[in-house]
Amino acid sequence: MAQMWITMGPQHPMTHGLWTLRVKVDGETVVDTEAELGYIHRGVEKICESRDFTQVTPYCDRLCYVSAMTWANSYIYAAEDLLEAEVPERAEYIRLIAAELQRLASHLMWLGAFGPDIGNLTLMTWCMRDREMFLDLLQELGGSRMHYNYPRIGGVKRDIPIGFADRMIAKVKLFEKRIEEYEMMLDESTIWLVRLQGVGYANAEEMVAAGVSGPNVRAAGVNYDVRWAHPYSVYDEIDWEPAVEKPTSVKGADCYDRYRVRMEEMRQSCRMVLDAIEKIPGGKNTNYANGDEMIFKKAPTRAPEGATGFSNYECTRGASQFYILGGGEGRGKNPYRVSIRSPMFITIPFVAKTMIGYKVADIPAIMGSFDPCIGETDR
Amino acid sequence: MGTSITVSQNSEAANECLDAINSRFSGSGIVASIEHHSNAKKFAFIRITTPPQHWLALAKWLYFDLDVNYCSMITGTHFPDGPDERGWEVAYHLLRQPISNQLPNTNTVYVAEKLDGKLIPMEFEVLIPLENNDSPTVPSVQQIWGGADWNEKETWDLVGIKFEGHENMHRVLNPHDSPEEFHPLQKQHKIRYHDHNEMYDDAQGFGRKPADEGRVK
Repeated sequence: MAQMWITMGPQHPMTHGLWTLRVKVDGETVVDTEAELGYIHRGVEKICESRDFTQVTPYCDRLCYVSAMTWANSYIYAAEDLLEAEVPERAEYIRLIAAELQRLASHLMWLGAFGPDIGNLTLMTWCMRDREMFLDLLQELGGSRMHYNYPRIGGVKRDIPIGFADRMIAKVKLFEKRIEEYEMMLDESTIWLVRLQGVGYANAEEMVAAGVSGPNVRAAGVNYDVRWAHPYSVYDEIDWEPAVEKPTSVKGADCYDRYRVRMEEMRQSCRMVLDAIEKIPGGKNTNYANGDEMIFKKAPTRAPEGATGFSNYECTRGASQFYILGGGEGRGKNPYRVSIRSPMFITIPFVAKTMIGYKVADIPAIMGSFDPCIGETDR
Repeated sequence: MGTSITVSQNSEAANECLDAINSRFSGSGIVASIEHHSNAKKFAFIRITTPPQHWLALAKWLYFDLDVNYCSMITGTHFPDGPDERGWEVAYHLLRQPISNQLPNTNTVYVAEKLDGKLIPMEFEVLIPLENNDSPTVPSVQQIWGGADWNEKETWDLVGIKFEGHENMHRVLNPHDSPEEFHPLQKQHKIRYHDHNEMYDDAQGFGRKPADEGRVK
């Protein structure tokens, strides 16, 4: 039979957003692929050029609607590099807790979307149930359920509320048991093993060469993590270790390894927030007023011309980076250029190529296991 | 206790890299220096400024001799009012990551404090200033770092920097039928609320047209 191109998308059940995958098939086998992106390109980088440094934060929240807190934090660290802001230690702890709670919520959203891809709809309802707990906690911090606009240049918007610590500890401890439930359901489930094992191999070196980062690389057996390699925040003061998987083949990590590494990451995030809330300077049951110097230090609002800021941040899907140029045109309070590096923008074309040689039915499993998010991809 | 790369490891690695670059490239127009971030842990990174004609040689050397295995980000910037020798600038952010292939059923768990030499993660910023003209061009490093492939596509699509030798260049974020020579991050394109006063005078945006009307489909 002749080979032919099939267009999957922009709308189809497997997508985690709008994008097109063009697949060249020979019978059931994928022989070539092409990714097409850009369906929800909003021009965030251009918009940021006409906003001042604080106004940029909400746009960065909206880069990825599943992981808003980590993206806002990522921008804030770059802006702090540019504006030479100092951050109180309590604020760093609060940011860490917020980011790790967001990582839990984001990984749950991934697992919830991945389940139906594979044929396990129960998983989606379970994950949504548990994600709710973390959205509630983030709502207590940021005041909304999705786009928090929480971190500020030089601190955070407001302190953790009274009672937040107790509620968080209770929920996280409950969730640690739930992770075991997930594993009981999935780890040895026949459907799960048949669909994931031996599918979508990618080894560490080819992933690094292609620019893939984060949990996808850790699944291939190297514990490289921005949080220790280019440390920010207070990750060196709390108890954790990067999640890492042992791939079972010379060909590298398969979809099952990528599932396992994210489960382990959720464990580590739980461990981190439980440890951080006990070590937080100023006490876990204190609430400082907005703008108190324990949680916020006023930063300069104007950047000198020629100054640059850069941040390398472990987002939930890999390393997100911001590069900001300040000043210029006598417009020192606006950034001159904001450049955003989205981990998924680089990963999706790579994943499209890893599908070659597998069956058409494996495409959702391979794509889903890399955790694509189109919001950040298209910016 | 979490373990992280320490400031002393970082500065040691930065010094080693700087010495290596200076001994290889001094006098060629490539200028390298150690800079420090002012956020987080105030870590050092290497900033290299190179003319475009030396970029390919430098990139190959970084890849093969300094083990810089990761091209994470490419940024093009347009300076229409800048000096003639810097009308455009391309910034590459490269990382050195200690990542290698694993045998089955094994993994590598690095303990940050015990890393040394070329295993210490390091960050590189390569700046290439380009002349102020209509066709800013740099050589493509797509063949050296696969990760540069889509970054270069994006930089051409949004900023209009041409990457010489890039295979399969096409629009990635803008529509495929965008007008030729339309690259929205060039500074002559203004978005509607570019000027703040205008925004506050007429917050609803009635009675005004986008600044780039007639030039964009």
